[in-house]
Formats: sequence, C-alpha cells, structure tokens
Amino acid sequence: MRRVYEFLFLFKEYLVVGVLLAVSVALLALNDDAQIRTIRSLAVVSVGMLQDALGIIPNYFDLRRENHVLRELNVTLADEVNRLREARLENLRLRRLLGLKERGEFVFVAANVIGKNLQLLRNTVTLDAGERNGVRVDMPLVTENGLAGKIVATSGRFAVAQILYNKDIRVSAKIERSRVDGIIRWEGGPALALQDVAKTLDVQTGDVVITSEYSSFFPPGIRIGVVASAKGAEGSLFQSIDVRPAVDFSRLEEVFVITSVRDSERMAVEHKVRE
Amino acid sequence: MRQTLIDIALTLLCILLQTTIAQYLAVAGLSPDITLIWIIYLSLRRGQMTGTVAGFFCGLVLDLLSGADGMLGLAALSKTAAGFTAGYFFNENKTLQTLGSYRFILIILLVSVVHNLIYFIIFLQGSGAHWWQAILLYGVPAALYTAAVGLMPAFVFARRALL
Repeated sequence: MRRVYEFLFLFKEYLVVGVLLAVSVALLALNDDAQIRTIRSLAVVSVGMLQDALGIIPNYFDLRRENHVLRELNVTLADEVNRLREARLENLRLRRLLGLKERGEFVFVAANVIGKNLQLLRNTVTLDAGERNGVRVDMPLVTENGLAGKIVATSGRFAVAQILYNKDIRVSAKIERSRVDGIIRWEGGPALALQDVAKTLDVQTGDVVITSEYSSFFPPGIRIGVVASAKGAEGSLFQSIDVRPAVDFSRLEEVFVITSVRDSERMAVEHKVRE
Repeated sequence: MRQTLIDIALTLLCILLQTTIAQYLAVAGLSPDITLIWIIYLSLRRGQMTGTVAGFFCGLVLDLLSGADGMLGLAALSKTAAGFTAGYFFNENKTLQTLGSYRFILIILLVSVVHNLIYFIIFLQGSGAHWWQAILLYGVPAALYTAAVGLMPAFVFARRALL
C-alpha cells in the first residue's frame, strides 16, 4: 500500500491534472443540466451588474476606432451635402427655366451649353440643339434671367450662338421705367453699353433694360440687364450708360432658344422697304 | 498559509479584472488573457501542481461567468492544461530570473498558443469552421497580445531581481 502512495505522490501532478481534465470534460458533457444553468445565470447576473457599473470607463481603442469611423462618415456626409446643394441649385435653376417656359408667350427649345468659344471680342457658345429641334439662325437665346444672345450658325444637331459679350451683336433696347430707347452693344469689359441715348433723356442707375419692340430678332420685354451707371459724356450729345447683364455668362449651362418669335409678314414688309 | 490566502485573493482579483477591465483593453476584438498570465506566474513561482489547480479554478469561474450559452468546462480544461504546461518551466532556484527575463514572455507566448489551440479545437467542434484558421486569425494574435501585456510584470520582476 505504501508503494502505491509513493507511486501516486511521485506522479501527483499527473494525477491532479488527469482528475481536473476529467472533471472539465465531464462539465462539458453536462452543459445542458438545469442546475448548472441556474448557477451560471446567477454568476452572469452578478458579473453583469459589476460590468454595468464599470460601463462608464471608455475603451481607448474603441474610441479611436469610433473616431475613425465618424471621421469617414463625416467626409461621406459632407460630400453628400455638397452634391445635394448642387442638386438643389440645379433644381432652382430648372424651375425658373420651367417658369419661363410656362409663360406661354413663346415657343422654346431647351438646350445645354456644350462648348464655349471665348475669343476675346467674339464670344460664342455651342448648343446641343440644332435644326432638327427647330433652331434657326438669328433666333434669340435666353435664360431664366434674361437675354443671352443670338443663334448665328446651325447644323442638324448643334447650333452656335453669339452671346451679348460679342462685338458683333446689337440689340434694340429700352429703359423699362422711362421707355427711353437705345442700342445695346458690347465693347469689351464687364458691362454692356446702352448707346444712342440723348443726354436729356431720363436714365438712372438701377433702371432695368429690356428688349424693345423695334428689334427684328428679339421679342420685346426680355430683360437684358440693369443700368450700372449713366453719365453725360463730354463733347457728345449722348449719355455713356453701362449696363450690367442679367445673365451670368460665366455660369451659362442651360438655355432656351425662342423659335416662334419672327413675324414673317413684318419681316417681309421691312425687307421690301429696304429694297 | 498566509501566502496561499494572498494567492487566492489575487486569483480572484485577476478573474475580476479579466471579466471587467480586460474588455477595455480590447484591440480588434482581442483582449489580453490576464488570468492566463497569473496562472503562468503561479506555475513558475509555486510549481506545476499549484499552476494546474489555479488554472482549473480560474477556468471554471470564467466558464460560469461566460454566459448561459457558453461551454461550461472549456476554459477550465484549457487553463488546466495551460497551468500544467507552464509548470514544466518551474525551477525553484531560478524563479525571479525566469520571471524577470525574456523567458517569461516566451513561456507566456508558448502557453497561450497551447491554451488557444485546445480552446479553439474544442470550441469549434461540429461548427464546420477550421480550427487552424481560428488559431491563425485569433489564437496567435491573442497570444501575442497576452505576451505583450506580460511584459509589464516581467519588467517588475526584472527590477526586483536586480535589487
């Protein structure tokens, strides 16, 4: 018997580990026992309460990861906000265009500006609408803000238009308030010039300039711009009037071509007189 | 006797830390195994028998605390084996030298891998998942993290060995 004890003592570590491993395996086999489940539930509740109390301690690594995720989200949302803002502006622009179209006075052909040819004093834009859409030479070009120019060349699918910032364009215009007539042209610089207005006529800064009835190409009443300054030029009978265009040509994207403006009978009579 | 009581108290403290504080040290979902470091320490300091029993006790308590759906006995089994394995490096005459040197870290790393190997092989039985994948993805990184945390007591023991 003593030998047995000595033997067991000699290998006590193995004996203990064997017993403990056997108990562990037995516990693994008894996982579904109801009593064990109860004991575990109680233990979990106790630790849960403790963990809940310690829940105020922040996890540094989790915070870093959360911070990183939030930064990424911030960038994504900022990008989305920018896109939505752009969409809103486009929506407003298109709504104004739609409002212009719904006035029903003219027949419009919508077009996008697909090219700009800015050659110093002869600035033109290329449109993605042409003869197939009913666009013809000399038809006026407008935006929701006012007059933009005139068609000077067409092909089946495209058209080229002179904008008001073009030395070759002339527009019969008048002051909306005082009905004073003049000719709009551009001689370079940011402003248009309202010419042939006598010094004695009533023109004031802030007056709105519109197209007049005298034009062969442009329908009357379309806004051209606002008088930026009006002063009597020395040694001249006429005023020097600067007009700020209603259309922002640096942001010209969507335009309309007015296709129903020309009065063929009127054109024929005028042509006959000229001959 | 007094030393035994202190060891028991510290064992309970380690279990408490493992179940409460260790989650705040989690990196990529992996927490350091503080109780395993303690079990290895006991094995190296008090011998294989103490380490084995401490491993079983810690594992059993952790099993009980691991939730009603956990596998009761799994942590007990793996930690018993870990304590027993660590006990092979017990040398009564070189306790502080072992604890205060790189050997302690290497032992933690080795025992952690053994522990995680046993744990995952049993844990993934019948799940269809490959245990070696779990070892590579979780077992080895967790062992490295535990070994890294083991550097702190190693430095403490290194200083004590110098004094």
